[in-house]
Amino acid sequence: MLELKKLSWMVKKEWLSLRRHPGRLVSIIAFPIIMILLFGYGMGGDLSNLPVVVVSQDHGDLTDLTLDTIKSEDIYHVVNITSDTNAAKEMVDSGQVKAAIILPTNYDSSDGQQKTATLYLDSSDQMGSQTLVPATQSIFSQLSIKQATAQQTSTMGSNGTNVVNEDADTSGSLSASLDSAKSTINLQINRIYGNVKYMDFLVPAILGMTIMMSCMMGMGASIAGERETGELARLFMTPTSVATVIGGKILGKLSVEMFRSVVLLISAIILFSITIKGGIIPTLILLFLGALCFVGFGIMLSARTSTQEDYTQLVMPFAMPMMFVSGVFYPIETMPWILQKLAYVFPLTYLNDAMRAVMIKGQTLGDVWLDIAVLLGFTLLFFLIGVKRFNRDV
Amino acid sequence: MKYAIETFDLTKKYKNFTAVNSINFKIPKGTIFGMLGPNGAGKTTTIKMLNCLTQPTSGTASVAEFDVKENPNEVREKIGIVPQAVSLYKDLTVRENAELCSDYYGIPDEEKNDRISNLMDLVDISYAKDKLISQLSGGQKQKASLVASLVHRPDILFLDEPTIGLDPTTKRVLWNLIRDLNNSGHTIILCSHDMHEVDMLCDNVGIINTGKLVAYDTPQGLKDSLLKDEKMEYEKNISHTLNEVHNENGGNLPINLSQNQDNICLKKMSFIIENQNEEIINSIKALKPVNEVKLGENNRINLKINSFDDDVVNDVIKTIISKNGKISAVSTEEPSLEDVFMKVTSEVDKDARA
Repeated sequence: MLELKKLSWMVKKEWLSLRRHPGRLVSIIAFPIIMILLFGYGMGGDLSNLPVVVVSQDHGDLTDLTLDTIKSEDIYHVVNITSDTNAAKEMVDSGQVKAAIILPTNYDSSDGQQKTATLYLDSSDQMGSQTLVPATQSIFSQLSIKQATAQQTSTMGSNGTNVVNEDADTSGSLSASLDSAKSTINLQINRIYGNVKYMDFLVPAILGMTIMMSCMMGMGASIAGERETGELARLFMTPTSVATVIGGKILGKLSVEMFRSVVLLISAIILFSITIKGGIIPTLILLFLGALCFVGFGIMLSARTSTQEDYTQLVMPFAMPMMFVSGVFYPIETMPWILQKLAYVFPLTYLNDAMRAVMIKGQTLGDVWLDIAVLLGFTLLFFLIGVKRFNRDV
Repeated sequence: MKYAIETFDLTKKYKNFTAVNSINFKIPKGTIFGMLGPNGAGKTTTIKMLNCLTQPTSGTASVAEFDVKENPNEVREKIGIVPQAVSLYKDLTVRENAELCSDYYGIPDEEKNDRISNLMDLVDISYAKDKLISQLSGGQKQKASLVASLVHRPDILFLDEPTIGLDPTTKRVLWNLIRDLNNSGHTIILCSHDMHEVDMLCDNVGIINTGKLVAYDTPQGLKDSLLKDEKMEYEKNISHTLNEVHNENGGNLPINLSQNQDNICLKKMSFIIENQNEEIINSIKALKPVNEVKLGENNRINLKINSFDDDVVNDVIKTIISKNGKISAVSTEEPSLEDVFMKVTSEVDKDARA
């Protein structure tokens, strides 16, 4: 009963402190939302509306079809269609557009010669280039299939097999040949978890990362900081065990973090229209387990540090690599092998994996038991080391 | 048991550094004990060991009849600590901090509110009970800290520089409070650099230097012992000088030793003589034990006397009166606690350097 009172004071203190500093409350909620906005929209998201200029130097059905196709794609925003190649290149050079799609002068002639369209690309924009090149390649390979089929049809016509009005029938035969090409090579894409956008991939891990940063930094302020300013000494002046003092700190921190998690999940659903397939409760349980693990990590590090500055110096070499290596922004598989190995010793990797499995794939906590077991294992280890090393001396 | 605190070879070492070196002292119950010492002398470490905030490396101490090593929680229940850094939660109010401490000391709910209210009235902070600690002045913070430290009615109260940085009025309020607490039965341990404060409040004073207890007595006892020491040293110097001169002169004693005594000042006197004139000053200068006469503002004369003899004061006054001098003020300066502090700490420094 007495211990419960002591524990509840630490929770009460955290909340009173937050209530008396509304700015702090806003910042702890705004920070992860800004992170999601920055990373989700600012980099690596689905790019669209990239400004391009098209150089059309010929007239005919193929040119029209090509222009229509380019215009209809979301990825391009066609700023201008011109016949002046140099003017178009200048637009790219001056940075007005990201690329110039240059159709050759013989684009619509049926002389059987090789036709080469050129993508004059501002490759300094690495992200834009990465999107523009495959998208443009895809358009032209589609068009060349169409054209090949059309030529075949037209040859058949001249051979007298299909004597129809060539002019009138061209478009019909083209669409027919496209159908035939499509039916020749058919790639069926089964998106087993639906159309997952980068934002959907990012949000679960940003939540995990936010909880990690906040718990690890927060424990520094809570233990090393209070050791420095004397509040911890005040608690240790009373007949209270180390376990109760630390327990109070943990509960206080967890209560704030869980509140933050709920607010963040709701914000993510409203702001970024994400869907949590596995349900909010399992997601919150995972975040709770993650918070517990990182709080343990914080206690382990703050057990013997006497100032908050020392703690910050100590925690950054762990927190920063964990943030970038644990697959928050990119899948772990895309990283160099050494970083992949490193990722497995960071608890955040397991939290991210479980969060994505539940939020994107809709799996249950039972499906991610291995991630949970590893997280719990880390938590136990951190607490054991933390409590054993904890220095009551102030 | 007469003693509130008793230490037994209390020692604290940090790697190769000995912060507290086998200290032994006893503090009688119900007294105010002043702990003095230069910065880094080991006072704070000693206090921390007595407060169970750090473990002794060897030796032990009994605080309120409990051993600090064996029964730290019992010790904690019997002591209250007002640290130098206020160490209350800045985002909580005075009352909330007191309630937090009260719950951490396990005070029953039905008593808690009354105790806190009474204490806040006692230290006169009730008017600011709902203010955050961060909004309080230095003196108010110390009062809030006192409430939080007294809520469990400790037998012994440790005060670490409680009046540092406070204005003279607030200092006096706190001094009165310390006396009141002592009168109500609390043993008080006062760590301070304010010699006047310690001299005025404390029944006993201990001076710690380089981890050792170098002096322990009542404030008056310490000052008297300084006088005694200086007298002994003076007499030793005189006999040493006499011997030297005797040897150098082949056995002929010198008639005047005043040259060797020029720099010795054993007592200071100060007079205000309203009709001060050359004659009076010259006749004072002619007195043998007077080795310096300085004229100050408003007809003040400051004298340095190289004798312990109480008759000197009489002689000087007689001389002035015989010259029709009108004395409107007279004062003599005895060694202060600060002189004692300077002497004992510099002696240890010399020893340490040697």
